[in-house]
Amino acid sequence: MTTSTTGGPPAADLDERRAGTSTARFVAGKAGGALASLVFVMVLGFLLFRMIPGDPVATMTRDRPTSPEQLAQLRERLGVDEPLWRQFLDYALGLLSGDLGTSYLYNRPVATMIGERLWPTVLLVGTATVLAVALGMWLGIRAAWKRDSAFDRVHTGVALTLWSVPQFWLGLLLLIATQGLFPSRGMRSPDLPEGFLAQTLDVAWHLTLPCVTLLAVIYAQYMLVMRSSLLEEMGSEYLTTARAKGLRDDLVRRRHAVPNALLPAVTLVFLQFGMVVSGTVTVEAVFSWPGLGLLTYDALRGPDLPLLQGVFVVLAGSVIVMNLLAELLYRVLDPRVRAA
Amino acid sequence: MSPLLELRDLGVTYSTGGDEVEAVRDVNLALEPGETLGIAGESGSGKSTVALSVLRLLPKSAKVSGEILLDGEDVTTMRWGRLRAVRWSSASVVFQGAMHALNPVRRVGEQIAEPIRLHTDLPEAKVRARVTELLDQVDLPPAKARSYPHELSGGQKQRVMIAMAVACEPRLILADEPTTALDVIVQAQVLALLGELVAERGIGLVLITHDLSVLAATCRRIAVMYRGEVVEEGPGDEVMARPRHEHTRALAAAFPTVGDPASRFAPATTNPLPPEPDRAAPDAEAPGLLAARDLKVTFRDRHGEVVHAVAGVDLDVRRDEIVALVGQSGSGKTTLARALLGLQRPTAGSVFYDGRLVPTSSAGLKEYRRQAQLVLQDPTSALNPRHTVYEAVAEGPRIHGITGDERSLVLEALTAAELRPAETYLSRLPHELSGGQRQRVVIAGALALRPSVLVADEPVTSLDASVRGEILALLLRLRRELALAALVITHDLGLAWNIADRVAVMYRGELVEVGPVEQVLLEPRHEYTKSLLAALPTGMARAFERGV
Repeated sequence: MTTSTTGGPPAADLDERRAGTSTARFVAGKAGGALASLVFVMVLGFLLFRMIPGDPVATMTRDRPTSPEQLAQLRERLGVDEPLWRQFLDYALGLLSGDLGTSYLYNRPVATMIGERLWPTVLLVGTATVLAVALGMWLGIRAAWKRDSAFDRVHTGVALTLWSVPQFWLGLLLLIATQGLFPSRGMRSPDLPEGFLAQTLDVAWHLTLPCVTLLAVIYAQYMLVMRSSLLEEMGSEYLTTARAKGLRDDLVRRRHAVPNALLPAVTLVFLQFGMVVSGTVTVEAVFSWPGLGLLTYDALRGPDLPLLQGVFVVLAGSVIVMNLLAELLYRVLDPRVRAA
Repeated sequence: MSPLLELRDLGVTYSTGGDEVEAVRDVNLALEPGETLGIAGESGSGKSTVALSVLRLLPKSAKVSGEILLDGEDVTTMRWGRLRAVRWSSASVVFQGAMHALNPVRRVGEQIAEPIRLHTDLPEAKVRARVTELLDQVDLPPAKARSYPHELSGGQKQRVMIAMAVACEPRLILADEPTTALDVIVQAQVLALLGELVAERGIGLVLITHDLSVLAATCRRIAVMYRGEVVEEGPGDEVMARPRHEHTRALAAAFPTVGDPASRFAPATTNPLPPEPDRAAPDAEAPGLLAARDLKVTFRDRHGEVVHAVAGVDLDVRRDEIVALVGQSGSGKTTLARALLGLQRPTAGSVFYDGRLVPTSSAGLKEYRRQAQLVLQDPTSALNPRHTVYEAVAEGPRIHGITGDERSLVLEALTAAELRPAETYLSRLPHELSGGQRQRVVIAGALALRPSVLVADEPVTSLDASVRGEILALLLRLRRELALAALVITHDLGLAWNIADRVAVMYRGELVEVGPVEQVLLEPRHEYTKSLLAALPTGMARAFERGV
């Protein structure tokens, strides 16, 4: 919309310019909303983990004998005896400079730990989501177009069954079924081979099972949303127009039905992408995948409050950012949203 | 030479869940090139099924029997490849494009170009030139090719639809309700455009509509369908002048001729009203029960430009009087009505009810709204699908805390809205009712509060022709029996002629002419009123004759 064709009439130029300013206003508005949500998440993250009962210092020193002096020293270092407003101020200022606090259990900066673990999760979730979206949408479109056909019934049934299966169970089942064909834990082999290609293949080999497990469980929702939103478009009159023009059936589907049915699916894809990051706890725990999910799992066992708080803020933040991206993309896909 | 289109013993049966429904039976029709055939009928009469069957666009559940000969070739036995080649290049369709027949996420230029690319080998530059040429033929600037359907008005969308229909120069165009939901002036433009195409290129046109007056104005021959059968067929003027079948008479009466004394204060109904009693002429100087004084409503559109939707209006609706507010879509009628009801805060000016200023506080408005009730255009969306008729009617009295026996109040309102016996309707849900019955329930919901003014926004536009007269008769009877005043907003001058005492003509936010129905509609003074009257299909007939 932003590049205007040369020699266009002035009226059209004016329209384009208006569209340009309204796009800027739209993006600014949505970004502002997302920022407000982030601030809310920040406050919530602080309060939530202050309300959990239990003395963090007692947790940390659970397994070793500690003198009262040592305990007091630890308390002072962690700042748990400070007034709440003071703690919040430290937390908020730290967050702004990228400091998420220090882990009780590992005694390392939380931000660094999350940073290390973020990329494996993004790799796992990203691969699984991209595949799930492609597979789910393809199946959903086929199923809706031939509603109540054998294809529709079989695939809807299979997808729903897999959707209801617990992830850890499916993961273990796959491990047994493949009989050691794929590694059962970790992201890299201990004896890491030389060379970029070999290393990439090694990661891919480790990725296979967790990725397939995640894919099998999550593709159902994309398929069902695509199926139902396409079914909703099937009765539309513009499809009759397209058929009357003499278009082949698959062109009617591809050019006219799918672009309209895609709109609700896009929202879900992005929203879920944010959520799936947190939903990988089980899969990562089963396959010892060194990602955020496994980190959350470890933090929960502590409980390691600064770590949990950091993970919470990062995950909630990613949902908000993804949602913002979905709304921006929606505007590209649907001209009616551009006008509103 | 064989006719352009010939239907022989056409029958269509839908099978749904084991049931067989015969939608169309024994239809025999023929059309020569350069001819216009009108098919009239109500919803469910099978007229659209006939149109869709010509290009085999019916759903899979439909079984077609008989022959459909397009240029002598039977469509029902064509192979898919041949059928796809015939679609649009031999025969194209103009759907009710103002609504949903255009793909909302594709630019209209692309949608017009699509069949050209499909059926010809023109290079891309020529395709684009052709789209520009087609837009020009339907009087749209070439820049509109870059618009999306929602950026166009109803009339513009219908023009796009027509440009699309003639893109491959077909010999036959099937137009299914091409002007429904368009106001009179745009309707006249669209009909004139179709008429030109028929005249200039020898295209055969099948025009399908529920409005017999449109067909009378545009078609040499008319076929009337009723319950899947053609009950009457013949030359247009003959069918209109001497209808033989009862249903044709009902259709013809539903859209009265403005100026015909027979239909003045006599909407078409199976239960005719007594003639209008002589009434003392209302005192023109007395202030109305509901009155607007210099009312202004100003909006800002999304570009920040000021729009004067209502630009200083004085209007009175008196007790025992029906006022019709007429005008094109976009003239500000609905905004005026909303401002009168306190649903829209006026920018300036005031509204009086019974001589007192209508308050703007929500508490004050609540009491006022009990007196002034609103009836909306589409009863299907105005009713909650999960609420029974009883719930729908009782809701108003509950909100306003009206004491007394709720059940008898509801029964009384339903009886007043002529749903008799009222008991049998209480537990029914909206989907179990016909369109006319639903509108009666909406009116009963308004009557349950015993209002003294009804404001009805296009109360019969979404209803079938035969039901239309019944609802209008109800409004007229309510005025006579309960002295209920009404402001009826409509783009339909026939409605005003049927039931209104006075007409107010609105144009660009202002009332350009207000007066008794006979005076305004028969001796219009303002240019705009004249153009509205000239756009009526009966006025159109002459213009169309010249075109053909």
